[in-house]
Amino acid sequence: MAASIIDVENLTVSYGNRPALLDINFSIGPQQLIGIIGPNGSGKSTLLKTLLGFIKPDFGKIKIYGEPLARNEGRIAYVPQRSAVDWDFPITVQEVAMMGRYQYIPWWKEASARDYEIVEQAMKTVRVLDLSKHQIGELSGGQQQRVFMARALAQQSSILLLDEPFAGVDAATERAILDVLKSAKESGKTLIVVHHDLTTAAEYFDQLILIKQRLYAFGSPKIVLQEELLHQVYEGKLRIFSDIVISKKG
Amino acid sequence: MENLYNLFIDPLHQTFFQKALLGGSLIAIACGVIGCFVILRRMAFLGDALSHAMIAGVVGGYLFMKVIFSIEAHAPAMLIGSVIAALITVGLISFVSQVSRIKEDAVIGIMYCGIFASGVVLVSIFRDYIHVDIMHFIMGDILGITDSELWVAAIVSAFVLTILMFFYRHLQLATFDPIMATSIGISVALIDYSLTACVSMVVVSAVSMVGVILVVGLLITPAATAYLLSDRLPRMMALAALFSFTSVVGGLYLSVWLDSAGGGAIMLFCSFQFFVIFLLAPKYGYFSKLIRRWNMIPQSLLEDILTSVLRSGNQASSESLRLYLKSSTKLLVKGVNQLQREELIIKTGKQIKLTDKGKEQANKIIRAHRLWESYLEATGMPANEVHRAAHHLEHLKDEAAINYLDNKLGHPAHDPHGKKIPQ
Repeated sequence: MAASIIDVENLTVSYGNRPALLDINFSIGPQQLIGIIGPNGSGKSTLLKTLLGFIKPDFGKIKIYGEPLARNEGRIAYVPQRSAVDWDFPITVQEVAMMGRYQYIPWWKEASARDYEIVEQAMKTVRVLDLSKHQIGELSGGQQQRVFMARALAQQSSILLLDEPFAGVDAATERAILDVLKSAKESGKTLIVVHHDLTTAAEYFDQLILIKQRLYAFGSPKIVLQEELLHQVYEGKLRIFSDIVISKKG
Repeated sequence: MENLYNLFIDPLHQTFFQKALLGGSLIAIACGVIGCFVILRRMAFLGDALSHAMIAGVVGGYLFMKVIFSIEAHAPAMLIGSVIAALITVGLISFVSQVSRIKEDAVIGIMYCGIFASGVVLVSIFRDYIHVDIMHFIMGDILGITDSELWVAAIVSAFVLTILMFFYRHLQLATFDPIMATSIGISVALIDYSLTACVSMVVVSAVSMVGVILVVGLLITPAATAYLLSDRLPRMMALAALFSFTSVVGGLYLSVWLDSAGGGAIMLFCSFQFFVIFLLAPKYGYFSKLIRRWNMIPQSLLEDILTSVLRSGNQASSESLRLYLKSSTKLLVKGVNQLQREELIIKTGKQIKLTDKGKEQANKIIRAHRLWESYLEATGMPANEVHRAAHHLEHLKDEAAINYLDNKLGHPAHDPHGKKIPQ
């Protein structure tokens, strides 16, 4: 088995006395496109924030490249959910993308010409270069999503975590974002994506993680998208999806 | 001429005015710049809390130096005391709001009133022993600023601006995206406390000039004014510093001319500036918003124009459109101009024609219209009513939704009236 990049062992997180994640275990190898699925409030975003070190686990271990999280600062890039961003913040597209370089710039120095070059390249890759001087609130939903993709690319991390990148974007933008994710994977990165559209999950991802507080399934879409399993996790809400899931299996 | 000279130059010869101008500007600039972060982090109420809590710290610092070293009114000790009181307040606020079900805004109110009250009680117990004037705290006295207060203002201002200069990126990222900040090893908690310490130092220094009640205004009003004019944080900070400075200058002249309280006059000028900018700002101002709304053309009208032109065999005149669409002439002219700018139609003389791009758009809308008609008919609506309903629904033409309708209906070739559905 290839050496794993992310190892999560017995991870337990709670808010107050309400458990958000219970005893989660999985490991992820290199160069994978992984989807995290589960109903609303199932702990998907909490899992991302814990992997980023923003939420401290009550119990359990997270290892990145075999080392604890604290030694891996900046090795994981993060693309937030669109609704979590203050779009009125006085900041331009270029300035957001430049945040991807902050970890490489010592506090007493300014960004170097090389940093600007990398940022420009990242903006070019996701096609927001001509918007670089715009304030981020002026952009369309898809463009906003791509700005944060540019930031993640400028960070040059080998692991990318994305929180619902496809939420509220049109079909064409969804394709465009998926293309960026796939080419990032081809270049050797591992991507973990919180996703809530079961109809596209099988098509988009190599592996799926199904959670609702606990880990219900982890593996190829064929293994995870089983009607019985989804029924158990989504309870009544599954009916909306059921014809889709069955047709995927067929 | 003589009068103008008296109005503007005379006050400058007065030492008290010079000192007020210098001290006020120094601290106002720091207030404005750090106020930008206060606004963006939505901690305005916290600024209010800190200014009240500091009185306990001032008394604490005063008593400490007096009891141990017998020094009266030692300014640095009072400053440090205030910062400590502020940090304790913030610590208590975050502790209580985390462990109890009481929400943060209420906790802020509870904590700062408690600490403010302890300061008031301390002052009154030791009123014969120490000389702290509560009224001075509440109103401030910029025209009576002392040399030591001037020094404190200079040092605080220099210190805070230096911190902001070196840790600008940290502050910006921790404010904008604390999750990413944490993930690259920035301690967001440390940034929060440092910012709080900076805010409390600035506030402490400003309180002696404009008083507890008005200090929050000096902290947030110039920054808010700048926010209405800025799309970038560095610009916002520079403008906030400028507006703080002009508030102090304008306010001091105002107070000399009107013979009013200095702090009040400064804040009045500052608020006046805000209202002017609030109304007139080119992009985020109230008037520009009104103008934008005035110029707005309903998307449905634009789409109706496109389809009407296509339905009338790709040529129509303004008159025929007006009769057909029953819309006001003014709105129609605006709509036609807008569509010309988007290169969807070409207008030669009175004749209006669709461009290729326009035809494509119009076809999409007609496709939506006819699919909606078919769908409505399938749901059991009488055929003579479907047109009117579909006329409203056709503007819901999201590609995915329309393709879904098409699939559900089994890709019909014609609508209920027998017209062809474009692909």
